[in-house]
Amino acid sequence: MTAHRKDTARPAEPILALDDLGVVFTTESAQVPAVRGVSLEVRPGETLALVGESGSGKSTVALAAMGLLPGNARVTGRAAVAGTDIVGADEAGLSRLRGRTVSMVFQEPATALDPLTRIGKQITEVIRNHHDVSAREAAARAVDLLRRVGIPEPERRAAAYPFQLSGGQRQRVVIAMAIANDPALLIADEPTTALDVTVQAEILDLLRRLAAETGTGVLLVTHNMGVVADFADRVAVMYQGRLVESGTVEDVLLRPTHDYTRRLLAAVPRLEVALPDDGAAANALTKPVPGTRTTEPPREKGRTPAAQEGTPVLALDDVSVVFGRGRRAVRALDGVSFLVRPGETLGLVGESGSGKSTAARVALGLITPNAGTVSLFGTDLAHSRARARRRLRAGIGVVLQDPVASLDARMTVGECVAEPLRVHRRELSARDRRGLVEDVLERVRLPRALARRAPGELSGGQRQRVSLARALVLEPRLLVADEPTSALDVSVQESVLEVITELQDELGFACLFVSHDLAVVQHFARRVAVLRGGRIEEQGPTGETLLHPETDYTRRLLAAAPVPDPVVQRARRTERLAALAAGRTEGGA
Amino acid sequence: MSALIQPAEMPGTDDTPREAASGVRLAVRRFLRNRLAVAGLCVVAFFVLFCFAGPLVYSTDQTHTALQQVNLSPRGDHWLGTDAVGHDELGRLMYGGKVSLVVGLAAGVLATVIGTLWGATAGYAGGWIDAVMMRVVDAGIAIPALFILLVVSAITTPGLAGMILILGLVSWLVPSRLIRAETLSLKNRDYVLTLRAIGGTHARAILRHILPNSVSTLVVATTFQIADAILLVAYVSYLGLGVQPPATDWGGMLSAGLNAAYSGYWWLILPPGLAIILVVWAFNAIGDGLRDAFDVRGRG
Amino acid sequence: MSTPSFLIRRVLQALAVVVIVTIVVFGLLHALPGGPARGILGPQATAQQIARFNHEQGLDKPLPVQYLYYLNQLLHGDLGTSYTLNAPVSRLIEERLPKTLVLTVLSALIGLLLAIPLGMWQAVRRNRPVDYVITTLSFIAYSTPVYFLGLILVLVFSQVLPWFPSQAPQGDSLADVFSEPRALVLPVVAGAASMVAVFSRYMRAATLENLSEDYVRTARAGGARSRAVLRKHVFRNSLTPVVAMLGYYVPVLFGGALVVEQLFNYPGMGLLFWSAAQASDYPVLLGCVLVIALATVVGTLLADIVQRVIDPRVKAGRA
Repeated sequence: MTAHRKDTARPAEPILALDDLGVVFTTESAQVPAVRGVSLEVRPGETLALVGESGSGKSTVALAAMGLLPGNARVTGRAAVAGTDIVGADEAGLSRLRGRTVSMVFQEPATALDPLTRIGKQITEVIRNHHDVSAREAAARAVDLLRRVGIPEPERRAAAYPFQLSGGQRQRVVIAMAIANDPALLIADEPTTALDVTVQAEILDLLRRLAAETGTGVLLVTHNMGVVADFADRVAVMYQGRLVESGTVEDVLLRPTHDYTRRLLAAVPRLEVALPDDGAAANALTKPVPGTRTTEPPREKGRTPAAQEGTPVLALDDVSVVFGRGRRAVRALDGVSFLVRPGETLGLVGESGSGKSTAARVALGLITPNAGTVSLFGTDLAHSRARARRRLRAGIGVVLQDPVASLDARMTVGECVAEPLRVHRRELSARDRRGLVEDVLERVRLPRALARRAPGELSGGQRQRVSLARALVLEPRLLVADEPTSALDVSVQESVLEVITELQDELGFACLFVSHDLAVVQHFARRVAVLRGGRIEEQGPTGETLLHPETDYTRRLLAAAPVPDPVVQRARRTERLAALAAGRTEGGA
Repeated sequence: MSALIQPAEMPGTDDTPREAASGVRLAVRRFLRNRLAVAGLCVVAFFVLFCFAGPLVYSTDQTHTALQQVNLSPRGDHWLGTDAVGHDELGRLMYGGKVSLVVGLAAGVLATVIGTLWGATAGYAGGWIDAVMMRVVDAGIAIPALFILLVVSAITTPGLAGMILILGLVSWLVPSRLIRAETLSLKNRDYVLTLRAIGGTHARAILRHILPNSVSTLVVATTFQIADAILLVAYVSYLGLGVQPPATDWGGMLSAGLNAAYSGYWWLILPPGLAIILVVWAFNAIGDGLRDAFDVRGRG
Repeated sequence: MSTPSFLIRRVLQALAVVVIVTIVVFGLLHALPGGPARGILGPQATAQQIARFNHEQGLDKPLPVQYLYYLNQLLHGDLGTSYTLNAPVSRLIEERLPKTLVLTVLSALIGLLLAIPLGMWQAVRRNRPVDYVITTLSFIAYSTPVYFLGLILVLVFSQVLPWFPSQAPQGDSLADVFSEPRALVLPVVAGAASMVAVFSRYMRAATLENLSEDYVRTARAGGARSRAVLRKHVFRNSLTPVVAMLGYYVPVLFGGALVVEQLFNYPGMGLLFWSAAQASDYPVLLGCVLVIALATVVGTLLADIVQRVIDPRVKAGRA
C-alpha cells in the first residue's frame, strides 16, 4: 500500500482525456446546461476524484466518458478513452470499448443488477461480450472474479440471484463485472454512497487493491470528502457544471484555493477521533483549513442543571418490536431502553437495519411495540385514552428524512406548516394562524412570503426547513428528527443543523436525533446510543462514547468512517487494516 | 412556467436536471403535446355537439315509424338513408348517441365513485378488512360482466336509470383495485406519518391528503371507465337489455342493422359502428394522454 | 416464503373467492321470480308443486341453512337441471366447455404472440411514427365491439373475398372442430383482437419501465449492444407483470367467447349461455357463471404460480 504516488513526470498517455467537454440536456421546458468546459485527464494507475455537490454535473461527466448519457443530452467538446473518441462514436464502437477498455461501477447496488438473471451469468455476459470463449470457460472466469472481489463460496454464489445478496455483496458483483476484462479505466460513480460505513470501508479497500494490482486508472465520482481523502491521488472539484479547482489530494483538501472548495470543506462535519498514536486524549482533528472557520468543539449542551432534572420527555423501557410472523419474523427492536430528558439531545446512531428508525417510529406512536413500555412526557402511552394520547402528541414535532415526501405537494407551504395548528388549536382564527405560520417560517430563516408557494418550487434544504417549521409551530417539548439532513448536500446540511441548534437553545425543546452519520451526531447530540441489530450496543455521553468506545463494534464503526484529511485518514486506514489483519481472518461482506 | 433548477440545493446525488414546475400546468402542456390525446378530445367534442346540438340543425322525426320509406339508401332528404321502420338514420345517430353518451358517462362516473369508496376504505383500513374486501373484488372480477348482464336481462328490463345503475355496479372493480393501490402507497407517505405522529385524525389524513393526492389517478381512471362503459352500453343493447324502442342507442342501432348487413344496407351498420369505435377510441386516447401527463401508473 | 406455504395461502385465498362467488350466485338464484323452485321445476309448475318442492328441498328453511344445502349440491357436482334442454346442467357444460376452451386458448395464444413483440417494438420506438400507428390501431381494436368486428370480418373475408367460411365448425367432438381449421380462423381472430390491443399496451408500458432501469445501464456499460440488452434482460423482466395480468383476463376472454360463439354459431358454452338467456333457463345461466368464475380463480392462481417460476424474487416473498 503505497502512501505516496508523487506526481513526477509521467510518460504514460492519459487513459481518459476530456477536453472542453460540455453537456446540455433538453428538458420539457428548457435547455439545461449540466456540464460546461470541463477538461481533465486520468493517467494509468492514478485515481482522480471528481467531487461536487448534487447538480454540479459530476455524474454527467462520468456518464459522458462512457457514452452512456440519455438521448436528450447534447455533448460538445472531446472525450477520449485510450485515444478513442467517445463523443460522436457509433454504438458498435462504443460497445467494443465499454466493459473492456473502460467500465463503470454505479451508485445503487440494489438496482444495478438484472433481478432475474443469476449473478454468475451476468458476469459471463460481460466476458463474452468481448472474448470469444466458451460458456464453461467464461463461467469459470466469473467464479474467479467473484473470489477476487471477496465473495465467499464463489462457486455456489455464482448461481445466486441479486436479491439473495446483501447490498455490499451486490456492489462487489458490480465491481466484478467492471473488472472482468481488465479495463484500463474504471469509472466509479458514488460507489459507496448507498452503503453503510463499515461496508463502504471494505468496498474502498477492494477498489484500491484491485486498482493497485492492475494499474487501472480510476475516475471516482463522489460527494464524500472522507472517501476522497481515503482513496484519491488527485482531486477535481466541480461546481455548477464547471471545474473550479484541481490538484493533488493534499493540496485541495488541506490548502484549497478556490472559495467554493473552502466553503464546501468547511461545511463537512468532521468526526473527532482519538488518533492511534495518541490514544489518551481526544485530539481535535487537524490543522484548520486556512482562510476558513475552524471546526467548532462539540457543543456543550444542557449546561443548566435544571435541564437534566424533571421527568424525561420520552422514555422507552425494554421495548421490543417484531415484524411478521412465524419463521419470517424479524426482531426489529430487542429490549431497547433509553431516555430523553427535557432540553437534551439524544443521538441514535447505527447502520441500516440497526433499528434506529424503528425506535423513532415507536417513539412517535406509529408502531406499537410488542413488549415494553413507551412513556411520553411521563404518561404511559399504552395506558392512556385515545383523546389524552392525541393531546400528548401535540408536544411532539417531527422531521423525517425525505425532503420530497415530507410535504404534501398539493398544499401550499403555509398550509403544510399550519396543519398542526388545525389539528390541535382549532380555536385560532385564520388570521392568527397565518401570523403564527409566518413567525415560525421566519424563525427557521425562510421568508414569510414563502407561505404562499408550493413545496415543489423549493429546494431540498428549504423543504427540510419548512418541515422543521411545521414541527416547531406548536412549540413542542420534543423534536423527533429521523435523518433530517441525510438527503441534503453538506453545505445545506450545515445550515439546517445550525437552525435546529439555535432554535433549541432558544425554545429549549428536547431532541431525539436519528442519524447514520457519526460526525453529525457527534456535533449535535449530548448523549448518544449506538444501535446494532435491534439492540443497544452502548450508550453514554457523546464525548466519551464516540471517542473512547467500550465495545468492539462501536470502535469498528468509528474506524470505518473516513475523515476528510488525507494525512490523518491514511494513518487511520493503515491502523484499521492492521487491526483487521491481526483480529480476524477475511470475513467477507 | 419556470423550471426551477437549483443545482446547489437539490436533494439526492443524481445530477440529471429535474423540474419542479407547477404540476397542473405542466400536465396540461404535456397533454396538449400528445397528438393522439388532442385528437381524442376533438372527437369527443365533435360527438357531443353532433348529438346535442345536431338535432337543432337537422331535425327529424324519431318517434313515428314511416313504413312507406324503409331501408332507403342515402339521398338528398335522408343523408344517411333510413332504417327498417323508416327513421332517418342520421337523425337516429344523433338521437341514439345521446343515450350512449349519457349512459356511458354516468355509468363510468358511478363505477369510479363506487370503486373509489371501496378501494380507499380497503387500502386505508388494511389488515383483515382489506383482505375480505379485496376477495370480494376478486370474486366480482371472476364473473364476466356480460354474463351478469345477461342474467339480469333474463330477469328484468330496466329503464335508463336502472341501466346506469346496473352498468355502474358491474364495472367498479377495476377502479377499486387501482385506488386501493394508490391509497396504500399514500397512507405511508412521510407527510401522512407526520400528521399521525402529532395526533392528527384518520379523517384528516384521508380528506386532506389521500383524496386530494389521488385526484389525478381518479381522473385517469374515470376516463378509461367512461370508454369501457360506452362500449358496455353497446354490448348491453346487443344482448337485448338496452333501452326499448322507439328509444335507441348506438349499440341498439348496430344490432338492429346486423341482419340488414347481409342485404347490403351498409348505412345501417357502418355509421353507428364507427361512432362507437370513434368515441371509445377517443376516451381511451384522452385517458392515455392524461395518464402520461399526470404520470399516473397502471391501467387496469 | 417457502413454496408450500405460498401455495397453501394462495389456495385458501382462491377458496375464499369461490365461496363469495357461490354466495353471489345463490343470491341471484333467490332473486329470481318464484325462487329456485321455479328455476328447477320450470315455468309450468303449479303453486302446489312449488310449495311441495320447497318443503321437500328444505327451501322453507332459513337462508343460511339453504345456502349450505346449495353448497352441498355443488360439491356433488349438481348444478341443477336445465328445463329447456331437459338435461343436467353439469353434463351440458361438460359437453360445451372444451369447445369454448379451444376458442379462448387459441385466441389468447395468438393474441399474446402478436401483442408481446408489438409492445416491445413500440417501447423501443417510443414516440416515433410506428408507435403512434400501433397505438392508434390498438385503441381501435379495443374500441370495436366484438360483434361489429366479427360482422366486418365475415363481410370482408367470407362474403366479398370467399376465403373463410362464415360459420364456425359445427362438429360435436373436438376432433370434428379441428378437422375444419379454416372455419376457426375468423372466430379466433375476432376473439384475439382486443387481446392484442390490451396486452400490447401492457407490454409497451412494462418495457418502457424496464428500459429506464439501472440494470440496463449496467449491461450497456459492460459492452452489451441494445438488442442484446433487450433480448437477454428487458424481455424477461417486462414479461412478469404481463403474466400477472393474464389471470385477470380470463373472464374477459369468456365474455368475448359469449359474443363470438353467438355470432359464428359455434356450439360452445357461450352459445349455451346465450340460448339459456333467451329462454330464461336459470339453472344453466347460473351454472355457467359458476364455472367461469372457477376458471378465472384457477387462471389467476396459475398466473401467480407461473410468475413465481419466472421471478425468483416472488418466491422469496420480496417482490
